[in-house]
Amino acid sequence: MLYKIRKMTKTFKNRTILNLEQLDIEKGEIYALVGANGAGKTTLLNILSFLDKPHTGQLDFCGEPVLYGNQQLLKLRRKVVLLDQYPILFTGPVWKNIEFGLKVRSIPRAQRKKRVEEVLNLVGMGDFFHAEGHKLSGGETKRVALARALAIEPEVLLCDEPTANVDAENQAIILNILQQINSEQKTSIIFATHYLSQMRKLASHTLTLEHGHLSQQKKENSYICTVITRKENGLLCFLNNAVSLFLAGNNHPEVEKGTKIHIDPRRISIGKSKNSLAENTLRGVVVKIEQNNTLIGIDMDCGLRIRVILTKDEYRDLQPQVGEKLQIGIPDEAIEFSP
Amino acid sequence: MDLFFDSIQSAIALLLTRDPELLNIVWVSVKVSALSTVIASLAGIPGGFLIAYSEFYGKRLLLTCLNTLLALPTVVIGLLVYSFISRRGILGPMELLYTQKAIIIGQVILIVPLICSLTIAAISRIDTRYRKTALTLGATQKQMALVIIKEARYGIGAAVIAAFGRVIAEVGISMMLGGNAKGFTRTMTTAMALEYDKGEFVLSVALGLTLMSIAFAVNMLFHFFQGRTRVDAV
Repeated sequence: MLYKIRKMTKTFKNRTILNLEQLDIEKGEIYALVGANGAGKTTLLNILSFLDKPHTGQLDFCGEPVLYGNQQLLKLRRKVVLLDQYPILFTGPVWKNIEFGLKVRSIPRAQRKKRVEEVLNLVGMGDFFHAEGHKLSGGETKRVALARALAIEPEVLLCDEPTANVDAENQAIILNILQQINSEQKTSIIFATHYLSQMRKLASHTLTLEHGHLSQQKKENSYICTVITRKENGLLCFLNNAVSLFLAGNNHPEVEKGTKIHIDPRRISIGKSKNSLAENTLRGVVVKIEQNNTLIGIDMDCGLRIRVILTKDEYRDLQPQVGEKLQIGIPDEAIEFSP
Repeated sequence: MDLFFDSIQSAIALLLTRDPELLNIVWVSVKVSALSTVIASLAGIPGGFLIAYSEFYGKRLLLTCLNTLLALPTVVIGLLVYSFISRRGILGPMELLYTQKAIIIGQVILIVPLICSLTIAAISRIDTRYRKTALTLGATQKQMALVIIKEARYGIGAAVIAAFGRVIAEVGISMMLGGNAKGFTRTMTTAMALEYDKGEFVLSVALGLTLMSIAFAVNMLFHFFQGRTRVDAV
């Protein structure tokens, strides 16, 4: 376990800006941190990078409780690096900026130079070795700041909106680098984003913050549920007033008006015929297929858009095509209610 | 006007002939002021940094006190230090009165608040992301402080120049604590005051010109380095 958070709060001027009951973050994974402005994403990243401390609660890093003495913090900060939403470069040339983290670790000069060249080439800024930091564009500054963060080979890379205010070309470069260092160096990455496409493309886990709380609401396959009839063996519901779905069982919570229902995209089964599927089935057309990291996302139009996530093996077995009509099955365990 | 122009003419001649008395006065002034500025900078810059970057009870009161001390008259400092270093003062046995050391002590008291206040202002203007970036890249508190001071170097440099200008031009402390002893504690400003009292304007004007030239040269030097660094940065 990389981070373990229990009952953590952070307040600012008597206002609780972060209140996390429980959060576990695994090593070597990519986490997307999503939420509206002011949801607490930056505050959480500051706490995870040990630049800020929570007011109450427990934070463990690599199985050890975090202590906030200067020496202990220095040790922890040298394992984790935070890439700011609007990074700032120190006065001086690019190479001096990048070697900063190595210099404070007393790495010998020759080794520093070699590492600076390596990371500059990694971010595609090899020609900018002697360039002045203040002369770079926004996208270039972000790439240099990313190189500066990667130069120290952190165990954890925290990125606050890594592609905010960056053109499409630089966005793609930055996302590819993040994916590359995660797969090659097993660097754990936690990044805050507003872009769901980035979240899907890069992250294997999603953390949703709402007003400082970790939200149970998932961003995919969330619908407003309206009960049509309640029977002994289950509920017949309308999802987004578009599609009816029968939820088997009699232990469903009292569904009020506006209750959200979430269908876990990884638990939905998909097939060419109805026979092999669960009881709640819907027929739809494949409208989009995309690769998300090691998984394949398939968007089905079943009267409302439902996303199904398959492993590469499942995808190879099914070989779905855009425009093809398929059946999806929604087992009871794929359904979650949230108020 | 004749008196003024004649004095300037004679003063230039005095400067060109490198009058030994004049050179000695200039040397004492520059030496005392430079030492005061160095000592005050060693105390004022780290002090200013600590105040700017720390949160503590009474910080606003301390800032108000520092700003008030900027208006402290030199004669008040002269009196205060005099009460400590005169024969009857607690530091009397050290025999500091009417020495260059006494002038330095007084001048340091005069400019520490100035350097401190201007350093606080310079550091407060520095983007907080520099601190955050230095820390997340693994800097110690000391390394982080050096980063901030480096980024605020123009503001801090201006504070030091302003402090030097303040002490080289002050007369109250030098007169009260130095005693204006010829060849020993006579500075440019005390000599000018004395010559004025005597009705001898030539040496006064020569010293005034020298004083202005030194102030101008120091500022030019600062701007030269500032400009060169900025050109390098562009």
